[in-house]
This record gives sequence, C-alpha cells and structure tokens, in this order.
Amino acid sequence: MADTMKLSHINTPPAQTWNYLHINDVSFDVPVAEEHGAAFNRLPRIFDGIECGLGDEACGWIVASSAEARYIEVPAHTRRDEPIVIDIVAENGTVADTGVCVREGAEATIVVAVSATLARDALSAALTRVLVERNAVLHVVEIVAAGGAYRHIEGLGIDAAAGARVDVSQYFLGGARVAAGMAANLAGDGATFELACRYLVGAGELLDINHVVRARGRDTREDMIVSGMLSDGASKTLRETIDLIHGAKGSQGNEAETVLLAGENIRNKTLPVILCDEDDVAGNHGATIGAISPEQLAYLSDRGLGPDEAAALFMRSIFDDALIHAPEPVSAAAVALRAETVLGAEVSRDSLETLDIDFFKEV
Amino acid sequence: MARTQVQDINQSLYDFVMPEVGAERYADGLTPDIVRAISKKKHEPAWMLEMRLQALELYQSMEMAPNWGASIEGLNMDHISTYVAPNAKRTNSWDDVPDEIKETFERLGIPEAERETLAGVGAQYDSEIVYHNMRESVADQGVIYTTIEDALTDPELEPIVHKYFGKLLPMIEHKFSALHYAVWSGSSFVYVPAGVTLPFPLQSYFRLNAQGAGQFEHTLIIVEEGGNLHFIEGCSAPKYNVANLHAGAVEIFVGDGAHMRYSTIENWSKNMFNLNTKRSTVGKDAHMEWVSGSFGSHVSYLYPSTILAGDNSDCEFTGITFAGATQDLDTGCKVTMNGKNTNASINTKSISKDGGINTFRSSVIIGPHAENARASVSCQSLMLDDMSRSDTIPAMDVRCASASVGHEATIGRISDDTVFYLMSRGCSEGEARTMVVNGFANPISKELPMEYAVEMNNLIKLEMEGAIG
Repeated sequence: MADTMKLSHINTPPAQTWNYLHINDVSFDVPVAEEHGAAFNRLPRIFDGIECGLGDEACGWIVASSAEARYIEVPAHTRRDEPIVIDIVAENGTVADTGVCVREGAEATIVVAVSATLARDALSAALTRVLVERNAVLHVVEIVAAGGAYRHIEGLGIDAAAGARVDVSQYFLGGARVAAGMAANLAGDGATFELACRYLVGAGELLDINHVVRARGRDTREDMIVSGMLSDGASKTLRETIDLIHGAKGSQGNEAETVLLAGENIRNKTLPVILCDEDDVAGNHGATIGAISPEQLAYLSDRGLGPDEAAALFMRSIFDDALIHAPEPVSAAAVALRAETVLGAEVSRDSLETLDIDFFKEV
Repeated sequence: MARTQVQDINQSLYDFVMPEVGAERYADGLTPDIVRAISKKKHEPAWMLEMRLQALELYQSMEMAPNWGASIEGLNMDHISTYVAPNAKRTNSWDDVPDEIKETFERLGIPEAERETLAGVGAQYDSEIVYHNMRESVADQGVIYTTIEDALTDPELEPIVHKYFGKLLPMIEHKFSALHYAVWSGSSFVYVPAGVTLPFPLQSYFRLNAQGAGQFEHTLIIVEEGGNLHFIEGCSAPKYNVANLHAGAVEIFVGDGAHMRYSTIENWSKNMFNLNTKRSTVGKDAHMEWVSGSFGSHVSYLYPSTILAGDNSDCEFTGITFAGATQDLDTGCKVTMNGKNTNASINTKSISKDGGINTFRSSVIIGPHAENARASVSCQSLMLDDMSRSDTIPAMDVRCASASVGHEATIGRISDDTVFYLMSRGCSEGEARTMVVNGFANPISKELPMEYAVEMNNLIKLEMEGAIG
C-alpha cells in the first residue's frame, strides 16, 4: 500500500474567517506523489503562475502525481470545433495535468468529465490551466459524476487577457469527497467571465468548492451563478470570492447562490466574499438557502406530486441541465451513467429520449 | 468628475486631553504582580483573583490566529499600562466629581443626557467608574445598576456575579478575552427583575484619557423573564501618538419573554486598538437587539454575538461603520440559532473614505434542531474614493433542512449622476455627497436614541468635511 500524506489546506479562499467554523479549507489524504514525468513532460513554465483555487499544496501534488502533462495550443484566429476532452475514469485513479493556450482571437471548448463504472474507493484529480489570449473565446464544461466511494480533486485556472470571453459550466453530481477549486484572473481590460455551477450532493457525500475571480483589468464583467441540492446526510461548502483589485475601474462582479435543502442531517456552508479595493466598481452577492417552499409544494401537490416526488423533480432537473450542456459523448455518458444510479434507469432513459441527446446514442 | 484633496478630520469635540493629576498608574506590561495588585485594590473575593491569574496564564500561552484580518502589529503590551486610576472616588453626585473629569463628561454631554432622557448613568474614566447614579423610581422597582466591584462586596449580589460572570464569554474565547479577564477594571452590573420595564435607557460612558493605557471594563446584564431594558454604551478618547487598547467584555443574559436593546456609539481615537467582545444569550420568546455605530479606533475587532437558545426567540443587528484615514475596522456580528422558530435579522452599512479599510464579517450558524429558523443578512458598503477598501466576509453554516437563510451584499460608490443631479439643484459637491451618505446611513441612525442619532449625523458630517471625492 502506498504511503499517504495529508493535503491540509485545499481550497483556502483569499480572505478567511473564524477558524472554528471550519470553512477556511478542506483536507484530503492522498498517496505520496511519485515523480512520474521527465522534465520535457512538464507544462511550459508560464502555467506555473496561474492560480487554480485549490491552492499551491494541492496543485503541486497533482503536477507531481500526474503521469505526464498535456499541452494543447489553439492557433490564433481559429475556431476549434472538436472539444478538448479530459477524460477521468475515477476507478483508474487518473491524475491529469493539462495546459491549454487559446491564442489571440481563437475559440475553443474544454471538457473535463469524471466518471466511474465500478463501486470502488479511488482518488482521481484533474488540473486544467488555460491561457486565454486577447479577444479569444473559451468554453469550459466540467462534469464530476463519480459517486460511490470515489474522491476527486478538480482544479481549474484561467488567465484571461483583454477582450477575452470565458464561460464555465460546472456540474458536481456525486463523489464521496470532492474538492473543486476554480480561479479566473481577468487580467485584461474588458475581459468577461460567466460561471454556471450546479450540484447535487447525496447521502454521506462531501462537496467542497472554492471559486475565485480576480478583476484586474478595467471594465471587466464577472457573473457567477451557483445552485444545487443537498439530500440526507450531505455536506457542502461553497466559497465564492470576487476580488475587485485596485485599478479595475468600471468592473462589475455578481455572485448568486440558491441551495435547496432536501434531507436530514445536512450541512451547508457558504462563504460569499467580495473584496473591493477600487471605488468605481460594483460588487453584488445574493444567497437563498432553504427547503422547498410550502407554496411550491402546494402547487406540485395540486398536480399530484408529493414532497419526495417534488425533490426528485428538482434532482432530475440538474441531470437534465447537465445533459443539455454536455457537448460531446464522453461527458454525456458520464452524466447518463450517474443519472442511472441516482434517478433509476427508467428516468435516466426518459431524460435522454426527451432531450433527444443524439450523440449519446452513438456511444 | 474633478476631485480634490481630502482634508483632515475635525474631531475636536472628542479629541481633548485632561491632565493626569494625581492618577495612580501601574507599570506598563503584564505580570502576575500587576494582576494581584488590581485584585487587591478592589478587595475581591479569592475566586476572582484565581480567575484573573488563570486568565493571565492563558493569555500568555495563546497565539493570535495568523490568518486574521487587520494587523495589530503596532500593539505592544509591554508599552501599555493596564491600570490607571483617576484621583477620584466613585460618587453618585456630579458635584463630587473632580473638576477636570466633570468637565470631560460635560463636554461629552453626559450629565445633560442624564437629566433629560436616562434612567441611570455610569461614567468610567480610565480604569475606574467615577460616577454612578440611577433614578429612585427605577431602583424602587428592584432594578440594580451598579458596578461589579461594588456587587462583589455585597453579600446579596456577590453570588449572582459569581454565577454569571465569565460564563457566557469564556476566557478561552480568544487571546484578548483572556487578557480582559486578567486585568478587567471598571464595570457595569445591571439586574432587571422579572416583568420590570425601564421607561428610559441606562447608559455607561467610557472615557480613556491616559496615554498608552488600556481600558478593560466588564458589563454584565441580566434581564429576567418578561423584563425590558435599553442599555446605551458610549466611548471616546483623545488621540495620542502611541497605541491605546480597549479590550472590554459584555455579557447579556436575556430571560424568557424579555426584551433587550443594546446601543453603542463607538468613537475611540485613531490610535486605539479596539478589541472588544460582546455576547448575549436569549431565552424563549425573548428579543435581543444590537444597534452599533463604529466611527473611531485605529484597528477594531468587534463582532457582537447572539445565541438564540430559546424557541421563538429573535434578534436584530443594525450596524454602521465609518472608516477614514489610518483606520482598519473589522466589524460585524455572529448569530447562533439553536431554538425552534427563531429569527435573526442583520442589517449593516459601511462607508470607507481617505484610505480607510472596512471589513464586514459575520457568521450565521443554524443548529440541527433549529427547525423553521429564519435568518436574513444584508450588507451594503459605500466607497467614497479609490484609496479606500471594503471587504465583506459573511459565513453561513446551516445544519437544519427546514431553515431558511437569505443573504445580500452590495459594494459600490456614489454615482456621478446622483451628485450631478443634486448639484444642479443648488447643492455644492460636498453637500451633495454628505447628503447621500446621510441618506445611506439614515436607516441605521433612526434606530438610535435621538441624541445619539444627532451625534452620529454630526460624526458623519465631521468625517465628510473636505471629502469632495
């Protein structure tokens, strides 16, 4: 059995609060990293400076543990139609370190899909760092749908130059212990960033998220929307930071979270932070945390749906949304496989048919 | 829009120094001998000395969390005197208060407020209470308003103090609560019997006149079942070039069905490290309300905390913080909801100017048995220039599925359009901006007693002088 070590400070946000709340970080027991790659398999050094939300300790472990680093470049002023897919099969314990450079005016899509077919205890990790040059466009879809006893560490770092446009869709659909860090550095003027994150945390599962968006350039725009559902015995921590750095005049940052509490013994922790070192900016945050409202339940009850069925409906909506946004077969398969476990084969099939997921039929 | 240099703030209303004639000042630093000397001077029971020494040991063994906000590097306890007693005996007549101390409180408007709107007043000068009085009609209802020092020498009150003192705010809470319990001096002890409503507020005013000194007063309030009390705390100090320290503690026990309001206007000088700790526990069907205005201090750590222990209890926190040049104010509140059907409402505003730093920090914890608990948190921050900073760090920890929490936070500036609109109607730029800031603060100031609302508006006006940003 491999020696283990503890990563004690994963997902530490830029501004911390009372330690007794246990919200400032999360820890992971991981195997001691074995040096796999030779120097030529490492990413260009420029990627070292990209913040990923996970923190240096976890990023260092992923870099050291990955068998090899993968570097992809999207040439300037081209549109890459085929998504760049990072396929993580959880039971294999895959650790991926990927660097992508989207050159000036180019457009690309990156997909990270984490799935599992067997019920085993394993640890996987993916670290994806992206340089988005001037006026380039980047789409990212991350789907973590491992479930069972799997543990996963997911890191995403984005550095956006002037006029770059970035949108990220994240779906966290299962895993015994999942830590997800994401940081976007809007370095250039007029860069925009949109995040839509949805999650479903089931019985005994822990999901720990750290989102950091730093506005450095002028007139940047960052919008983050997070919503999800916690069922019996679930634990979730969300840290969201908008950092309006001195000089980011005209920038605007918005973050919003909606949490549906649908079970007993749940634990929902939220730390929505706005750091503001500039006056000519706007930062907004809103959060709503609660159960399905009596009005909603009454409405659904009138249509023949009880509380459990109502909760199942919310759950299905998350999977449906993930299926709609999965841009290629690997990610769609990861969602469908997980939906089958959580919602049952019949509901999962119904979703696929209703949504008419064409490419999935080919898988 | 054109900007002009921000000028210094006129704080002459609060920034005046009286000579330390005949004051008894203990040596700077912190030693067991100093702690013993304080205890001996107060003729305390043995348990209190034991508690002080235990707290000192704890203080010396505890570390500050390395990841906390505002730096307190400029605070060196070796250069702070923990006990400075004025040359005055405690009295219940302003005529018996030494002239220079009486003049201090007259300039601060305390005797006048007492005559007009208060049920009782305590006035602390450096480390000791120099004046304490309460209306006879209030005393006749069984209300006790005295100092803890006096209560400890009263055979009837000593067991009550022993029962409650340090129980809500343990010395182990943090390094500066340990320090507080080691050297506390000066205090307010309030006991409101069951069913008694005070028609007017009680007020304690804390003035720190001595240079390089600390003030460590302890406030202990017990409101029995169905009682109703409004307590006001005011504080100020002249400005020195060396650090001063305020590390007070407030413990409030609100009985079933009782109603408690605690209002604070804090205007310490800008060399002050204000590391204060406040906590209340609230019984069934009871109500706790904090109203807080923070204007002074160099560095503040101030987060009044409420434990909603009883079912159907509720609390409100309404606060405003104004950080100007050289200030780093880390303020907010904490609420722990354990009872069923509890309610918490947090509403704060902050204004940053001239390079001032504001941090709003809160925690809302909803326990696993707090069924149908409801909490709402609203935090609004106004930036008046691009040299200042404003951060919001609210934490929420929900462990009950039937709970509901709403949170909103906004940070922004006064829009040029608004200033232009007001200027087109005859206001100067400064007046326009002051008007907007007053409007921003108005929902908070209207929660204060009239004279404090006026004081707060004056403070804002003083702070805004020259702030044509």
